[in-house]
Amino acid sequence: MKRGPGGLYAAPSVVWLTVFFIAPLLIIVLYSFMTPGARGGVELKPTLDAYRAIANPVFARVTFNTILVALGSTMITLLIALPCGYYMARSSKQTLLLLLVIIPFWTNFLIRIYAWIAILGNEGFLNDLLRALGLAQDSIRFLYNRWAVMLVLVYTYLPYAILPLFSTIDKFDFSLLEAARDLGATKLGAINKVLLPNIRGGILTAFLFTFIPIFGAYAVPLLVGGTESYMLGNLIADELTKSRNWPLASAISLVITLVTTIGVMLLLRANGTNVLGGGGGKEESEGKAGKLDALAGAAVVGTAAVVGAAAPAGGGR
Amino acid sequence: MVIVKRVAFAALLAAVSIFGTSCGGAKERLYLYNWTYYIPEDVIKDFTKETGIQVIVDSYSSNEEMYNKLVAGGSGYDIVVPSGDYVSIMIAEGLLKGVELSRVPNFKNIDPKALSRIGFDPGNRYSVPFMMGAAGVSVNTTRASGYEQSWSIFEKPEFKGRMTMLDDMREVLGGALKYLGYSVNETDPARLEEARQVVERWKPNLVKFDAEAFARGFAAGEFWVVQGYAENVYLEYDEKRRAEIDFFFPREGMPMYLDSFCILSGAKNVDAAYKFIDFMLRPDIAARVSDYLMLPSPNVPARALMTVKPNYEFEDLDKGEFKEDLGLETLKLYNEVWRRIRVGN
Repeated sequence: MKRGPGGLYAAPSVVWLTVFFIAPLLIIVLYSFMTPGARGGVELKPTLDAYRAIANPVFARVTFNTILVALGSTMITLLIALPCGYYMARSSKQTLLLLLVIIPFWTNFLIRIYAWIAILGNEGFLNDLLRALGLAQDSIRFLYNRWAVMLVLVYTYLPYAILPLFSTIDKFDFSLLEAARDLGATKLGAINKVLLPNIRGGILTAFLFTFIPIFGAYAVPLLVGGTESYMLGNLIADELTKSRNWPLASAISLVITLVTTIGVMLLLRANGTNVLGGGGGKEESEGKAGKLDALAGAAVVGTAAVVGAAAPAGGGR
Repeated sequence: MVIVKRVAFAALLAAVSIFGTSCGGAKERLYLYNWTYYIPEDVIKDFTKETGIQVIVDSYSSNEEMYNKLVAGGSGYDIVVPSGDYVSIMIAEGLLKGVELSRVPNFKNIDPKALSRIGFDPGNRYSVPFMMGAAGVSVNTTRASGYEQSWSIFEKPEFKGRMTMLDDMREVLGGALKYLGYSVNETDPARLEEARQVVERWKPNLVKFDAEAFARGFAAGEFWVVQGYAENVYLEYDEKRRAEIDFFFPREGMPMYLDSFCILSGAKNVDAAYKFIDFMLRPDIAARVSDYLMLPSPNVPARALMTVKPNYEFEDLDKGEFKEDLGLETLKLYNEVWRRIRVGN
């Protein structure tokens, strides 16, 4: 192969990745093997204490809770996003619909969470409405439980699922559905056997784009969650800012990062063989690009959880 | 992170010093590292007007943030304002220079009742008290009634789903320890376990542990009973309806803080630091700060000069107990207990 100056073009992204991704990740790896400093920070004495501490059943409970919330909200998100993406792909007003999906991003994420609090609160709009209609006597507690956390998570990450699904379905040749129907498939059968296998890549991307950030969620369970909605992101934040056990926080986020990365790789491999079996050259190359994205995404979770956690801390004495 | 912070800090200081020399170094300076919104800006301006000393203020929102920055190599500050537990930690770490009380004539204004209860720096060899206070319990009396001014309020099932406590282990465990008749600085694991069981009894009645948004929820009528600092609660509440709030310190007692001025061991502007501390302890200035914060003043002559009614009276703090440093072993224990409470079942 001819070697031109092409490699140089990659320099900015290499520098970017090194400074903002690889270096922080390395620091997390290093910190996880150190002794916690007396009041935060680390001492340069290598130890495996942090990893021993993870064996504590308390962590298993938080992990289980987190997986439950993350899987549940991802599934709901996908179930809503699929018909949305399908409808958008078939609609004649694609630009308008795309705009509608993107508009929420114009408002700050935290403000949108507070809007949900204003809607769902005991004295919020929804309860006011129910009371006015005579459907509720006192008020129904919508907020501060696991369901509220899932609702707001679904709301937040829905666009991330709709967009990749839309772009995949948009490329789908809809005449194939007609062909299937001609060959005797029912409507549902055609979707099941023809559409879904063909947009597998999009579904996978949508899954990863929602599951991974939800798995590291911090602000949503903090603000709309109750006493039982403690997730791994909150645990990492508390270890970092309250208990001041930086190695433990690093170890937890590292384990999450590893588990997600391995999970993603397995998913992609399972999907990859399928794509190859289907024998579409175009799809294969897309699969590879998607694979890189997803890997990077997976590895970002733990880092994001740790970095993001540090910001909203404070306020207490 | 530490290294990055240190580099950034050095760069900042370099920039400051270049800036400083370029506009004439004749002027005296003072570098103050203080809690956010703790001293009104016009008080600082008046200090500069009177003394000609320029004050450069940097702020923090938690003791830990301040401490970690200083330990990570943050230097160049002259004065910090740590809470009691952190005063003793910083004394032990050699971060504080110590104060000669003879250079702070206004020290005589501080209530001896407050001084006598200081365990973190007996005799005030390193710290000069500034403000003290405590988190209490606020009740919306239009919604909740038939309770006692006690920690037992969190046990009442009729307020279930309408109560919050702070997301702060020293405050919540401290309350439970006081409820049991123990010290907020208890080190006995068995007593701490008892306190954990008390909190576990409260927990099903609580909506959440929250130190950020509870005051807004309380103001909106969402929560009826909240544990928190009066200044946070009153700030969010409609001024005309403030009489509805019953703010109290539970009769069993509660954890309490005292923030003090300390001179850092690396301070370069010691004279200016003494001038500033003495200025802040002057009755008229202390009264202005208390008015601004709506908190009672530990400064005796200042109380007569206040024009705003504080959120509670100084005497209300009598049943409080200062939070002291727990020591590393006990701190670990507290962390473990708190983690069990937070993660729960």
